[in-house]
Amino acid sequence: MALRLGREAAGARPRAETVRWSRRTPVLMILPAVVVLAAITLFPLLFTLRLTVLSWELTTGFPPQFIGVQNFVRVLTQDPRFWNAMANTGVLVAVGVGLQAVIGTGLALELNRLRRGRALVLSLLLIPVMIAPVIAGFQFRMILNDQYGPLNYLLDALTFGRVRGFAWLADPRVALGAVMATDVWQWAPFMTLVVLAGLQSLPGELLEAAEVDGATGLQALRRVTLPLLLPVIVIGVLVRVMDTFKLFDIVYQLTGGGPGNVTETIAYYTYLQGFKFFSLGYTAAMSFVQLVVITIVAQVFLHYQKRVRGGAVA
Amino acid sequence: MRWNARALCAVVAALVLALTAGTGSAPTGPAAAAMQAPKEQHAITWEYPPKFSNVTVNVVGDAGHNLAPYEFWRDHFPKAGITIKIIEVPFEGVYEKEKTEFVAGSGAFDVVTFYPAYIGDFASNGYLEPLDEYMKKQPDSVWNPHQEDVLPPFRELYNKWAGKTYALTIDGDAHMMIYRKDLFANPAEQAAFKARYGRALAPPQTWDDWLRVGAFFTRKKGQQLAGQTLDRDFYGSAEFAKRGFSFAWFVDRWAASGELYFDDTMKPQINTPAAVAALQNFVDSLKNAPPDVRGYGYDELRDALLNGNVAMVVQWTDVPKKGADPSQSKVVGRLGYGRVPGLVIGGKVVHRAMMPVGRVVAVAASSKNKLAAYWVAKHIAYDMSLEDVSTAFTGLDVNRGVHFKHPEAYSDFKTTAEAASYLDRVKEALADGYPEIFIPGAAQYEDALDLHVNKALAGQETPKQALDAVAKEWTAITDRLGRQKQIELWHQALNSYKIAGLVK
Amino acid sequence: MRRRSPARRLVTGLVLLAALVFFLFPVLWMVLTSFKSNPEFFAYPPVFIPKSFALTNYLNAMRLPPDGRGGLQGVRDSLIVSTGSMVISLLAGAPAAYSFARFRTGGENLSFWVLSTRMFPPVASALPLFLVFKSLHLLDTHWALIVANTIFNLPFVIWLLKGFFEDLPAELEEAAVIDGTTIFGAFRRVALPLVAPGLVATALFCFIFTWNEFMFALLLTRSDVRTLTIIVPSLVGGHEILWGQVAAVGVVAIIPNILLALLLQRFLVRGLTLGAVKG
Repeated sequence: MALRLGREAAGARPRAETVRWSRRTPVLMILPAVVVLAAITLFPLLFTLRLTVLSWELTTGFPPQFIGVQNFVRVLTQDPRFWNAMANTGVLVAVGVGLQAVIGTGLALELNRLRRGRALVLSLLLIPVMIAPVIAGFQFRMILNDQYGPLNYLLDALTFGRVRGFAWLADPRVALGAVMATDVWQWAPFMTLVVLAGLQSLPGELLEAAEVDGATGLQALRRVTLPLLLPVIVIGVLVRVMDTFKLFDIVYQLTGGGPGNVTETIAYYTYLQGFKFFSLGYTAAMSFVQLVVITIVAQVFLHYQKRVRGGAVA
Repeated sequence: MRWNARALCAVVAALVLALTAGTGSAPTGPAAAAMQAPKEQHAITWEYPPKFSNVTVNVVGDAGHNLAPYEFWRDHFPKAGITIKIIEVPFEGVYEKEKTEFVAGSGAFDVVTFYPAYIGDFASNGYLEPLDEYMKKQPDSVWNPHQEDVLPPFRELYNKWAGKTYALTIDGDAHMMIYRKDLFANPAEQAAFKARYGRALAPPQTWDDWLRVGAFFTRKKGQQLAGQTLDRDFYGSAEFAKRGFSFAWFVDRWAASGELYFDDTMKPQINTPAAVAALQNFVDSLKNAPPDVRGYGYDELRDALLNGNVAMVVQWTDVPKKGADPSQSKVVGRLGYGRVPGLVIGGKVVHRAMMPVGRVVAVAASSKNKLAAYWVAKHIAYDMSLEDVSTAFTGLDVNRGVHFKHPEAYSDFKTTAEAASYLDRVKEALADGYPEIFIPGAAQYEDALDLHVNKALAGQETPKQALDAVAKEWTAITDRLGRQKQIELWHQALNSYKIAGLVK
Repeated sequence: MRRRSPARRLVTGLVLLAALVFFLFPVLWMVLTSFKSNPEFFAYPPVFIPKSFALTNYLNAMRLPPDGRGGLQGVRDSLIVSTGSMVISLLAGAPAAYSFARFRTGGENLSFWVLSTRMFPPVASALPLFLVFKSLHLLDTHWALIVANTIFNLPFVIWLLKGFFEDLPAELEEAAVIDGTTIFGAFRRVALPLVAPGLVATALFCFIFTWNEFMFALLLTRSDVRTLTIIVPSLVGGHEILWGQVAAVGVVAIIPNILLALLLQRFLVRGLTLGAVKG
């Protein structure tokens, strides 16, 4: 009940007595953040926007040339590599982030049941998040090594030689999966922490009420807990989706985008265009296409979030 | 709770303070002990310049052992009135870091270390100081880097652009073949090979031999190899098949055909029948390679050999130095070296060895202390170069005549004779040299080539499809960069190739 | 609520045990690797327990040539930059998040714009940022990295906290306001403590995001500032990977993070229930 009021209040104007405050204070509270963000991002954004209509190849000595929408035409219609990278990233987003959400939420729920040692287990689980992707990449290169790595050795030893592990990073069939596994290993704990924080902000009596009503654990989870958690989960997933579009270090360390281009992500390809080829105009156009795609994805998520929020109240 | 927040702040602040205090000034002693300067050979004579009035020279380069020479000889610079400040950039970030600073005109660097494939980019954009005037300064013993002693491919390609010298070579790179001579010398293996193929077992002369010998030595766990039962699988050959430089191992197979990347009009020559056959050979060779060969870069490939896991590889010329070091190698004394396999052309075997990467130093045009910077570059590239290329503490490879004349300096090898034989093979490899694409845009051309070579290796494309795609992409790149200008630059590069004796 | 069947508890235990094995094995591998010596990195069968636990790799990694302060400088710079960006992002972000959550200030467009700044590919903003910092003479300073990382941390803080604030019932703050507190007071004294777990989680991640960042650290620094992520690849020469030292830096690099997590764990898992607060 309390929650419901809270949600309505969130949308409603505060009470009459406070109207005098509500005009100015909220704006003042938002101002620092907006000013800081605008100051840092406005110039890069405008600079990049202007680049999108230029052909500016820094490797040659030529001055930039105006070429209209040609950069966009090239991204959209003439660059299969861009779409391959987008598709790989799409897989990492759909499957990888999906796994992170499922594993993360599952572990958060289990952790929440733990009466003792919860803090310790959580702290331990969080260690992967704390390792820089560059360093994690090196560890996985050793662990996933086909011939000398501990993973394939353990597979072999524990199955008495019946299972032969893959050449995880070198086999075109599984390489993207290996990159994904590394990412999931690193970021599922992030989802655990976010969901756990959400879980602990939930009013306990609501769950108890559900249990008193005779709902089984699973029913309570599905009807009460998950819907209440969804807003937090969605934001966590959205953050991970945005970051997956930036997935670069791990790919660089593990596969260099190969074999072929089966693990080339959009961030890696953009990096090549920007900092290996120094094709400034084209990089800018690619960046804006990505921005549009991510914006659409984000809008879908937020729309969904609003709906589930509404659903939880009703 | 309040206490907690305060305690936290205190701990964090204390940590920051402790670390800041602990690292505020650079401790010099312990670091020096970690790395030992090689013994000075005095094979090259040089003198200090007239003392500079305590100028600081900023040196940028790829972090790690290739910056070690500045540490070895750190006592030299103060004697010239120079303070060295090193800016270390991760191996993979050198080009973008330097380019970004150049483009922005930050003037942050005086001496710049880079991969020579970028010389066209850096020199034609005016980022580098032409060195010809500096090199002529008197007295000779102070300023002359003796470029005439530098091996022609490095002097003409690595160092010059449009006829002027912009850089000095510190690291010369080329491929050579390295194989397990103990296996080739084994009588049982020789007999088995003879029985199976009707010819004598020998290190491969041609790329067809490579496939045959590779297939011969590929054995399963439990089979015999040179009279011993294998406790794990053994492979005939291995390749650099990871994204990045796999194209160089394709060019090794193709270059002997005598073809070049482009014709005179910059029409790509990369999808000729000879090229397709070369790529097919590369693809076929993976059958004799470890299952994870598509993940092999330089170090995995080196380790496969040094761990005793494969019979032969084509590698950079520094690998024998590592192979002679018992802390890195299980095959000490069992490695033979030879020329990269070739193709039979007109009844004769023609060998070509790709020359990827390498390193040069140059003086930034925006430097405020160009003369001092030049002397620092010259000191590393000439005065102390024998010491630098002969020690295992750097990854620098021989690049001038004098480096071949002093095998006794290469103390990793057990005997001077062994070192001399290694140097002879390196000399042969360099004589077979085949260049990278030395024009601006090299990174784009080579990345496109590497991508499709790699797709063929991964089975995503056939060799023909892959190389046709490269040709198409190369044409598009040329058009984007400006066809007319690119053709001019290519002609200039061709000219350099010819002067260097790399093409006829 | 608190009573669970033994079977269910066993399941919980097993699931968490499996998770710990999965998430900690690579960490353990890294710790072990940091003590190994050359022949042990790629031996067959793999070496799990190194022969000796000498600190050679740690000593070498922490005092990188040529100026001999590699690893420790990295720890220092990473700490300063990460802490700086975290503090700024929280100070600016938390009030903004509250304002967005409670008053919809600026409408959906403004809040979405905030989020969208995190979506922009970093490669595209790196060069313009470099130019800005160059003209402000901020290259190779901690400030450059703090500011650049704040681009990504601030939207993260705002959006994550916005979610937590929205889940709070507004009555408590309203009551406080009626009792004469300002809106800011209600935010600081009522709402903020209530979302403490979320706040702490957010702070921790801000810290970690910056700690792990690579591209800006590469481009915006030279030699005065070198974060750990820049130092690690420098252990990989063109010709050699110093596996042991990479792992040693990795171990040293997680220590501050673990310390932080341990310090904050009280907040992270306080088990705050709103019902109890409301009485």
